[in-house]
Amino acid sequence: MSITLKKLLESGAKSLALELVWGEMNLERVIEEKAINRPGLALSGFFQYFAQRRLQVFGLAELTFLKSLDSTQREQCLRGIFEKNIPAIVISRNRNPLPELRALAEEYGVPLFRTAMITSHFINECTLLIEELTAPCGRVQGTMLEIMGIGVLLQGRAGIGKSETALSLIERGYSLVADDITEVVRNSRGRVTAYANELTQYHMEIRGVGIVHVPSLFGVGSIRRECQLDLVIELHPYESDAEENRTGMIPETIDVLDISFPFYSLPVSSGRNMANIVEAAALNYKLKTLGHDAAKELDEKVIGTFLRKTES
Amino acid sequence: MAKPQTIVREFKVENKYGIHARPAALLVKAAGKFTADILIGKKGAEVSAKSIMGLLTIDGHQGAVLCVQTTGEDAEEAMAEIADLFENNFFEE
Repeated sequence: MSITLKKLLESGAKSLALELVWGEMNLERVIEEKAINRPGLALSGFFQYFAQRRLQVFGLAELTFLKSLDSTQREQCLRGIFEKNIPAIVISRNRNPLPELRALAEEYGVPLFRTAMITSHFINECTLLIEELTAPCGRVQGTMLEIMGIGVLLQGRAGIGKSETALSLIERGYSLVADDITEVVRNSRGRVTAYANELTQYHMEIRGVGIVHVPSLFGVGSIRRECQLDLVIELHPYESDAEENRTGMIPETIDVLDISFPFYSLPVSSGRNMANIVEAAALNYKLKTLGHDAAKELDEKVIGTFLRKTES
Repeated sequence: MAKPQTIVREFKVENKYGIHARPAALLVKAAGKFTADILIGKKGAEVSAKSIMGLLTIDGHQGAVLCVQTTGEDAEEAMAEIADLFENNFFEE
């Protein structure tokens, strides 16, 4: 995924103290490679491996180097870079662009930005921002809860009791992240973060009651703005012939934004308290991440007993 | 019963306040009558029409063009009912 300069400027105006010096008409240009380059070597005339598809940052070193040259050399150095069709240039520390830099930017139609930040900070912050803006994202049907630090996405067809189960869990002190519609975004390390739509966040629909504001009823502890997704639980109507996971030893998974998550399919039937079961599933998952797999440990114990008997 | 099928149609939101709580409730009520899966929303960002919270997030302001997709044995009947709501501006201004 790539990003336009316009989007970068809109999002970075505040957090990156980014301002446009020249090139408003060319803000639709795209940063094709989501990274930042300091063109030091290219300025000295070495263009092998020049990362021309990245945003180019001129810091103190680049500007001081350019100032050490006479005007003709400076123009020549810079022209070499502009000829590579770079997306845009950012000058850090709020320095004024040298006249040659400005003139070439206009000649080649390359937008010129300025930031008050020092170069290393700008590079860190801008890399994070670009990463954030281009992260794969989407929307999934399901209610998102946080149970003892485990992010659980509760799915199932309309009317199966997702919101009711969530309500019971909230009453037990766990937190609601999103009801029914959950926004998801994947970061560069492959973690998926879930959050609610801004408009409807912290609200929930309970059949027969209507829309309720969760923190007003249950206190601010009952909500979370966002949390990481750890497992997906689906509620489905009980069918006697359905294949259920009876030992938990054959882990099922489901993909969210191309990342695989543990998946539990729980049958709903009368007499089963779904909140209890969802809570148990979340806690059991937590136990597994700590290295304890109850089903596996029991099975090993059973096998061990059998082996001792056959050996003796 | 008819064969399972998928029907896709586009509708423009005409009522002044868009898909707010009341129209959303009407849509959920209509959608709930059918076994078909009903998705509604801007292209590529559809949600289930059986979820009020979902419908409030689709940004269905006046003038918005929404895509409705019904899939199932009663897809046709479901689409007719949804179309009726849009065509009558959800019975409001």
